[in-house]
Amino acid sequence: MIEVSNLTKEYVGRTAVNGLSFNVAAGEVVGFLGPNGAGKSTTMRILAGFMPPTSGTARVNGFDVFHQSIAARRSLGYMPENAPLYLDMRVREYLHFRGALKGVKGSLLRKRTGEVMDACSLIDVRRKMIGSLSKGYRQRVALADALISAPPLLILDEPMNGLDPTQIRHVRDLLKSLRGEHTIFLSTHILHEVELSCDRVLLIHQGKLRADDTPQNLVQKIRVASEVNMEIKAQGDVQEHLGKITAIRRIHEEKLEGGWRRFQMRVEARGDVREPIFDLALKNNWQIRELHRELPSLEDVFVELTSV
Amino acid sequence: MRCLLILLLKELRAFFYSPVAYIVLALVMVLNSFSFRAAIAVLENKPQADSIVTWTFSSSWFWLSYFFLFPLLTMRLFAEERKLGTFETLFTAPVRTWQVVASKYLAATFFYCLLWVPSYMNFRLFNWMTAGAAEIPPGALLGTYLLLFVMGLFNLAVGCFASSLTSNQIVAAVLSFTISVMHYLVGMFVLYLGRRIPEKFVDAVYYIASIEHIRTFTSGLLDTRPLVYYASFTLLFLALTHYRLEYRRWRI
Repeated sequence: MIEVSNLTKEYVGRTAVNGLSFNVAAGEVVGFLGPNGAGKSTTMRILAGFMPPTSGTARVNGFDVFHQSIAARRSLGYMPENAPLYLDMRVREYLHFRGALKGVKGSLLRKRTGEVMDACSLIDVRRKMIGSLSKGYRQRVALADALISAPPLLILDEPMNGLDPTQIRHVRDLLKSLRGEHTIFLSTHILHEVELSCDRVLLIHQGKLRADDTPQNLVQKIRVASEVNMEIKAQGDVQEHLGKITAIRRIHEEKLEGGWRRFQMRVEARGDVREPIFDLALKNNWQIRELHRELPSLEDVFVELTSV
Repeated sequence: MRCLLILLLKELRAFFYSPVAYIVLALVMVLNSFSFRAAIAVLENKPQADSIVTWTFSSSWFWLSYFFLFPLLTMRLFAEERKLGTFETLFTAPVRTWQVVASKYLAATFFYCLLWVPSYMNFRLFNWMTAGAAEIPPGALLGTYLLLFVMGLFNLAVGCFASSLTSNQIVAAVLSFTISVMHYLVGMFVLYLGRRIPEKFVDAVYYIASIEHIRTFTSGLLDTRPLVYYASFTLLFLALTHYRLEYRRWRI
């Protein structure tokens, strides 16, 4: 659905996107991550046909976004960042106008307008001026606008930005219901969201692709240390025993009430030290009440890959 | 074509939904009546060589209102979209840049034409009230409204261009007002200096002087040179507007 190869965009004195290449297959839900200023919005704007790349090519639904711009634009629904809308139009009027502009006609247009307002819970405000709506509603009007022509590809730039938790859940459910009939390419800062709703993650930093994998694989492959916490009742120098396990890098001890001792251990990537620790406990007669491994989250992946 | 129509309807709606349109309409109506009254006052005293049409459209009331129209009609068109960021939604829909420019320009032109209906009604009403005693030459009327139309095309194109340059409507208004008035003043300047400057220079300036054009056309002379002049500058400014919007699509 999306084929990007060697995409580069240079602004005056700054390279926003640098030799980006990736593909998105039809039906996939792909999360596009990266810190602010990494080139996410620029890439999405290029894909949506708003501006051309400096070099490289991007194809949407088989159409080149620059040379076959109109055909490419017909096959996508784009929701820009911060939901720019005409503030002096009413919700239904606006969606009607946008639908007509995207080539939806006659009775189908009326039907689609009703459907997207329903899907984005806009029925209550359909007669209101967009200018009088709250940020959450505006965000949903923009989302409804992206959906109105039922395009095969949705490009959503931070669709959950500025929504409250209930609304985020609503949008997540909406995206879930769109899965299958639409290919969805969305950028977001809410990493939890990506883990829940995306098949694949593209992570860019300073205009370059840093990772392209499923959220689960990313977390597993990442060379971030995990953390093991243990609470035991024991006598003697526990740290010396633990120090013999090579995967443990650092140990922090803390005294708790009732003679309990808490150990926090930084453990090398991919190593699981819970078994050797349990063996040690058996051998030395430690009384264990907690042994727990903290897995790195997507957040750790994000920080690790973008800290360079 | 369908896109153009949809965009045009949206722009027209935006004009008629905003209070600015009605304020402008009322303002022009009042000032036109003043200039019409001024023309009648001149003709009351003694017979004149020029007709009532000429006197109406060369009064200072007319020129006073005239140059305020264009910034008011055009400043919003592109500057507002730039400010709201809606260019991004607009140009990611399957529309072409020229359709956007044409729809906004045509909507402004339509509204501009509407502004002159009351002034035409003044002449008709005057004719009816005096039972045809006042002479209103039809050639002069035709020439006047034709010239007003092409001068409007030119100044609206200037306004569109000014509006496309910035995201600030005030800046757009000042810019378009300045260009329109400067263009007008070049002619006035020569008029005041009279024949104290070289003949050739005077002729050249008369070619572009609005005040000379209106003198010719209100006397019923349809000179094609100003028509071509205004039409070509209209196209130039519309092309500049188009390129200004296309600029982000240039590969540099």
